[in-house]
Order: sequence, then structure tokens, then C-alpha cells
Amino acid sequence: MSQNAYDPETAKQEIFAYAKKRGALAVGVADLAAIERIAPPGHRPSDIMPRVKSVISVGVGGQTQGAWTVPAKALGYFGSTETRAYSCVYALAFFMESMYGAPSVYCPPDMDNEAGPRVPLQSLKLHAELAGIGARSLAGDILLHPEFGYMYFASVFTELELPPDEPMADNPCPAPSCTDMYRKIGQTPCMKFCPVQCLSGKIDAEGKQEEMHYDMAACAEMTQQYEAVPAMLARALEAEDATQRTDALFDPDNKMLWYKMSVGSGGLLAQCFECMRVCPIATRSPQADPIRRRNSK
Amino acid sequence: MTQGYSRDQLGVTDAMIDAYGDIVFKLSNNHQIRRGDPVRMKDFAAIEAHRHELGMSDEQIAERVGLAPAQVTLIRNLEERRRFRTGHYHQLNKLGGGKRFRAERMTPLQDHFRYNEDALSLRAAFAFDPATVRGYVEDGYWKNDTLRGWLIRNAEETPDGRALAGAGGDLTWRELRERVGKLAAGFYKAGIRPGDVVAVQLPNTRDYVESFLALCWLGAVMTTLYMTFRESEFRTQLAHSNAKAVILPEIIGDFAAAETALRLSVELETLQRVIVAGTPPAGAIALASLYDVPPLPKELPAPTAADPFLLLYTSGTTSSPKGVPLNSHQMLTNARLGVVEHDIRPGDVVLSAAPYGHLFGLYSIEMAICAGASIDLLPIFSPPAFIKAVEEDRPTHLFAGPAHLAACNGMGLFDKADMSSLRVTVLSGSAVPPDLVRACAPKFTGGVITQLWGMTELQAGLYSRPGDDPEIAATSAGRNSPGTHVRIGDENGNELPRGEEGELQVRGPSVFAAYYNNPEATAAAFTADGYFRSGDLACMDANGNVTLSGRLKEVINRGGVKYSPQEVELLLEKHPAIAQCAIAPVPDERLGERACCYAVLKPQASVTLEELCAFLTEKGLAKHKLPERLELRETMPMTATRKIIKGQLKP
Ligand code: SF4
Ligand code: SF4
Repeated sequence: MSQNAYDPETAKQEIFAYAKKRGALAVGVADLAAIERIAPPGHRPSDIMPRVKSVISVGVGGQTQGAWTVPAKALGYFGSTETRAYSCVYALAFFMESMYGAPSVYCPPDMDNEAGPRVPLQSLKLHAELAGIGARSLAGDILLHPEFGYMYFASVFTELELPPDEPMADNPCPAPSCTDMYRKIGQTPCMKFCPVQCLSGKIDAEGKQEEMHYDMAACAEMTQQYEAVPAMLARALEAEDATQRTDALFDPDNKMLWYKMSVGSGGLLAQCFECMRVCPIATRSPQADPIRRRNSK
Repeated sequence: MTQGYSRDQLGVTDAMIDAYGDIVFKLSNNHQIRRGDPVRMKDFAAIEAHRHELGMSDEQIAERVGLAPAQVTLIRNLEERRRFRTGHYHQLNKLGGGKRFRAERMTPLQDHFRYNEDALSLRAAFAFDPATVRGYVEDGYWKNDTLRGWLIRNAEETPDGRALAGAGGDLTWRELRERVGKLAAGFYKAGIRPGDVVAVQLPNTRDYVESFLALCWLGAVMTTLYMTFRESEFRTQLAHSNAKAVILPEIIGDFAAAETALRLSVELETLQRVIVAGTPPAGAIALASLYDVPPLPKELPAPTAADPFLLLYTSGTTSSPKGVPLNSHQMLTNARLGVVEHDIRPGDVVLSAAPYGHLFGLYSIEMAICAGASIDLLPIFSPPAFIKAVEEDRPTHLFAGPAHLAACNGMGLFDKADMSSLRVTVLSGSAVPPDLVRACAPKFTGGVITQLWGMTELQAGLYSRPGDDPEIAATSAGRNSPGTHVRIGDENGNELPRGEEGELQVRGPSVFAAYYNNPEATAAAFTADGYFRSGDLACMDANGNVTLSGRLKEVINRGGVKYSPQEVELLLEKHPAIAQCAIAPVPDERLGERACCYAVLKPQASVTLEELCAFLTEKGLAKHKLPERLELRETMPMTATRKIIKGQLKP
């Protein structure tokens, strides 16, 4: 396929407009060279697409205001809006091929088959951060945006060369109210209300992030139940008697896991959202709050 | 498998996993530290300097540690598994909807309450047949009744209504609920947990009612020790029930109750606490001190109707005690339905002359709470104290044994006393002489006297109703309680025609499931079709009213002609020379058994066998039932519940 002649800036604007039409809140082009430097070998865009020239990152909206108010066990079910980001980039990859004749793929969003379920094939977060549509927060590096709050990200790799954007000039995290809280109790809301206390960190004298500590293993215990499935099977095998074995496999908690495996979705597959539920940027930034947006019109 | 390779292909041993697991885990992204904001700043030097903190890929770790990447992947995944705790997300289910995680309010799930082994073994005794359970639930007998629930309801609906009256009473429902909640917390602080068995030996006092309800509130199980019990009965029952604590007075008459319990707490591993209503000796806890403690932990399970609630002991021997575990479904369904049948209304006053150590006394408490009626306290029965309670507290309902009425009637107390407040008097506990009912009924001007037949295994099985013909109430124990099926059966469980004498057999929502840790007794207690063999002889009239005629095992078999001696005993008790008597068989070569009359005479009295037979014949007794031998005794062997032990009567 030969590339059509194009003006990089114009193409970029067309691509952004198309992505937004498909539901993206924010779009950016990441600095490919920076990704290639920062991402570990095996997890770089060129490992998937050797002739990649650009990485486009899109962000779609997170939760509605109503969702932030529901009990945690219901909120878990609203976590799958990332599929909207994937469908957006899937369409975008087709759009770019048909518009510019440039081979494009949407970046596989899943885990690295060879490394197990805690290692992604590519860091969508790194793409988005370098594309300037999110900055790492104290909540385990979840990306936040001052305008759109908390988003789900997806990327397109393309052979089309586009001018990269810069990362955000400022990090909106911690919000001023979080800094106030930190000064009083040594914790920000996300740290205080994380149910496994896997977040901690420091804010410097200027109110900027100094250190972020994230116990991802603890977070995974809380939120990634696929880890529990082999544990449950092991417990069943180790059971001393038939009662214990039956309980290990069929008690309601465990049957819920089978259920989730069989239906393929339904909550607690990524995060528990408690840190985001209390985050002022995730929930209250202007574009993340449709109710506020509507009332200010 | 890791990338398709097995452990031996990768050369990874357990020793390697042990040795490298920690550093591999630490370098991986399982724990991340970021200093500043180097990625956003594209500060590549800082990123490189801190890769080990930001989280390295397996390839990077391999390079750093000196392993192959696939080895790192395997070691890391196994280490992740080793550290992984399942079920963590449960605490999440309590969050959201306005509730936030607060470290200080969280008790890790593994630290939450769990039933101990003894409690679980007691819970296992409730092995109901599934079809029976389904029937009781579908038919509306079993609901989620608990005394805690009823107490809370009364305190909410009629907070200022009188819950306790009489000696040492006078509490409103609000006050009673408060005190019970506090005492439950006190019991918890004393080490008593839901499912634990606690023995209670107290008179009918406020302490009794509050202790009983506080144990219910906590979800503990009460076992009652009769007031007449002494060390040997204590030892048997406390050991068999695995009682964790005992609540009793310091002394009962000349019996050092608390000291005895303390001594047994050294001997019995399970008995850990002695709680004393009164001044405790060293080593015991004052009941009064348990009202002022921190509240119960929130995560304790609230008791439900299916939880064990009582573990009562019935006849049985020291080597094979018969403990009857009962839950709230069984007892409180029976009480809830009994409220209507005994016509107990909100604001009524319920007096029990029967001790609360007996199920009959507890039945009166359950019904009073269910109806929102006051529990009238009469700590220890004596005829004058009883008459005083009736005149002062004006009870509407009386639960008593025939002996209580007989004692007052014998002293002529009913002639002067005002018994008019009593709307319904329910007599139970032993055979009720019809003449006693006939004699007392005219003096209870405000209401009726009824009879009730019950057993520890089922609470109230039969009773006459307030509207029944007085003669029915005098001569029979009435009809089945709601939901209870009674039949007169033979030893094979076949129902006998109306009017024929046989064994009273019962099934229904209040009937127990099994004796505690006594499978032989359980097997012997039920017919093949699930009826409980009461062991009582009875016959049923055309309207379903049942008249009891004695105990099956006391039947005398005289040359193949069988009869119950109860009728003979009741007649003999009317003889002017006899203070106490019992008829029991003596072996006979020709007839197999003959009847022997054992008697204690009144002071200065004398009597011969011939005189007794003449007396009985004059009363119309059939010839084959006349005793053929007389044995005079100074005293009778008695059980702790004041029943004659016939097995010990030998010529
Ligand atoms: S997703 Fe849940 S467990 Fe993970 S950091 Fe946020 S609050 Fe903590
Ligand atoms: S609550 Fe949000 S803004 Fe505040 S520190 Fe945490 S992640 Fe940052």
C-alpha cells in the first residue's frame, strides 16, 4: 500500500477530529523515540510494528457522576468502558489506512502471553502520558487530566509520520484540596481510602509530587480476581476432605469467579475504583462531570 | 509451563525460587516507587537511575540479577502466587454508596468471629429432614423469630410498656432492651461467644430473665440447671453440654453453688467462667459488673431463628445424658402460636410459678415477650408469696404445676385470696388431678383453668383452650398445639383407634431433631415415620382431646394384662394415711410381674395392704389393678426435679 501525499499537521487535525467523532475526549500523538527509550525491550511499539512511525493515543470518558455514588460491588461493573476506547482506535486505524494509505494497527490492549497477567504487552499509559493527555497521579500512577479527569486509553500504531505532542506541562495531581489534606494527616484521599492501603507518597513544599509508592501486588489482590482462580484450584487440590474440596470450588465467592470467567466480564477485573471515587480530579474536573457541565451552560 | 517450557527445562528448582523470589518480586512492577515526575519530564537519566524502583520487565530483571528471562518470569509468577491472598476484595463489598474505607474500622476477615468446635458440633445436631423444613417454612410456621428481635420490636413499639413486674422487676421494654444489650456485651467481654453453651441456675428473678435474654442477644445457648441440682448433677450436665460458663447465686440454701462451680471449673476443661448473681467468691465474676463494658463488636453475627438457642436436659442417666438442642424456629414458633391460643394480649401480665429452669417456665417468658405482655417475677414459690404476687401484681395469666395449686388449696388460701385477675391459668408439669381443677375453678372467678402437656423435646404439644368445656379442661390435656400432629400409636408406630390407650406420638415444627451426642437415644426416640415417641400413655377422644394415663415404661404387665399404675397412684394419694406413694412391678414367677405399692405414711398413721385394697375397690378400681404387696418407706428416692425414681424401688 503506498501512502497518499498528505500534510502532517492537517492529517493530525483530521485524525483528531475523527477520533473525537468516535467518542474520544482527548487525542494526542506520542513521541515515539521517547517511548522506545523508556519502555523495556519487548514492550516497545517497534516490537509489534517494526515500521511504526507514530503512536496516537486516545482517551475516552470514565464514570458518570451517578456511577461514583453506587456501592463498590456495583461500581466494579462499570469499569469496562475501556472497550469504547478500543472500538474508537479500531475505527481510527481503518480510517487512517483508507485516508492516507498508511498501514495502521490498534495497539493490542491485553497482557503479554509470555509474561503472565501482570505484564501488559504495551503500556497504554506511557503512550497517553507522552501524548500529553494524562499525567501520573499519586493513585498508583493512574493518569489524570485536568479537564477530563479519569479516562480510559487506547493507542494506534501507524506508519504515517505525524508531529508528536508534548507531555502536559503541569501535573494536576495532587489537587490543592489533596495537598491540604496531606499537610494535615500525611495522606491524600486516594491514599486514605484505598481499602488495602497500597498507596503512599510524599508531596513537596511546592505542592508537587515528590514520591509515589504503589503496592501493585496488594492492589491486584483486591481487584484482579483471575489471580484467585488458580489459588482456589490449588486449595481444592490440597483439601483434606471432600467437604473442604467442595467448599473450595463451589462456595458462592468462588462460584462467582467461575461465573465471571464464563461471561467474560463483570467487575473487579482491573481496579476497585475506591481511589478514583474520592479523587477530586477524577470525579469533579469540568469535562468529567456532565452534570456540572450541563449546569454551567 | 512458562513460555511452553517446564521447570526442568528451565532448570528452576524450589531452592532457586526460595532464593530469588524476593528480589525478583521487588524489582518487578509489583511494587512501584516513582520519585518526582520523570516520564512526563522526559528525564531519561532519572528514569534509568530508578528503573529498579519503577518496576522492571522480566528481561531487565534477568539482566540485573543474572538469570534467564524465562526463569525470571517463572520465579516471579510463582512468587506472586505465594504472596497472593484471596478473598481480599470482600471488604470492598462493604464500601461505596457513601461508605469509605477507614483503617481503624476494619477488622481483617480472618480475624472475624468464627464458631468454635463445640458450637459447631451443637449446630450439627439440627439434622432436620429437608422435606420437613420446606413444609414448616412454606406453611408459615418457621419464620425468622428470635427473642432478640421480639425484644427490639417491643422496645420500639411500646418503649414505656412494662416488661418486668413483681419482685425486683419493674422495667420498661426500653430499659430491659438496654440492660440486655449491655449484659450481652458483658458476657462477650467475659469470653462468651455466639454458639457457646452457658449454664444458668437462678431463681425466677430479674437476673434470670436478663441473663437468658442477654445470652439470646449474643447468640449463646442456655442450658438450665434445676435449682435442686448439686455437684453430681452439675458435673454431668456441665461436662456433657461443654458449658463454657455458669451463672448462679453464691449460695442456694446450704449449698455453696459458686464454690462448687469454681471447683468444677478446675476439673472441667470447657468450663471457664463462673458468674455470680450476688457477691462472687475469689475467682468468680460478679454478674452486676458485666453491665458496664464496651459494646459488642459490630461484626458479630446477629442470631437467627435457625441458631441453637437452648440445650435442655431431660431424664437420662449419668453415663448417657439426654441433652435436647432447640433452636428459635422450634421454640418461638410454638410460643408465637401459643400466644393466640392462650389468649395473651399486649399489656397482659404473665406469672410463672413454675421455675424458669423448666421449659414450661421459659415458655411463659417467650410468650409474654411475643405478646408484649409483662413478665411477672415470683423468685421462689411458696403459697403465701404466690398469693401475694397474684393480689399485688394482678397477673392475667398463670403458668403453674398442679402441686402449686394443691399446696395453696390445701392451706385454704384460695378461699380468702382475690384470684380474679387471672384470665387463664395453665397447669402442667405432672399428672393433673381432675378434682384439683374442679376444686380450684370456682375460686378463680375471673377466668378458666386449662391444662397443657409438653416435653423438653417439643415444648407445648397439647393444651386445652380458654373456651373449652371446663370438664374437658379438668380431665384432659387438651388438643394439639397449632402445627403439632399427635397420635396414639402402638410400638410399631401404627395409629390406634380413638379411645384406645397407647403411646402418645408427636411430630411438628417444635419437635427436636436429635439428642446432643447421643445417637442411641435419638434412634430410640423416633418412629420410622418420624414421630417422636413421648413415652407417655394416653388416649384421645373423638374431638382430639388427649388424656394422659402414665408412663409407658412404668406399665405393669400382670400375666399379659397391661395397665398403667398412675390411676392407682392418684387414688391412693387420697387415702388419709398416705403421704407419698408409687406403684412399681416386682418379678413374679407365675404372672411375670405383680404390682407392689411403696408408700410413705403420714406421721402417726398406719395402714395394711387389705385396707388399701378395700379403699381402692370402694373407689371402683378394677380387681386386676389392686396392689398385691405393700412396702413402707421412710422416704422415697427422688430426682432433682422432685419425681420418684421408681427404678430404685426394690422390695
Ligand atoms: S484500585 Fe483500589 S486497591 Fe488499587 S490503588 Fe485504587 S483503591 Fe487501592
Ligand atoms: S486524590 Fe486524586 S488528585 Fe488527590 S492525590 Fe490522589 S490521585 Fe492525586
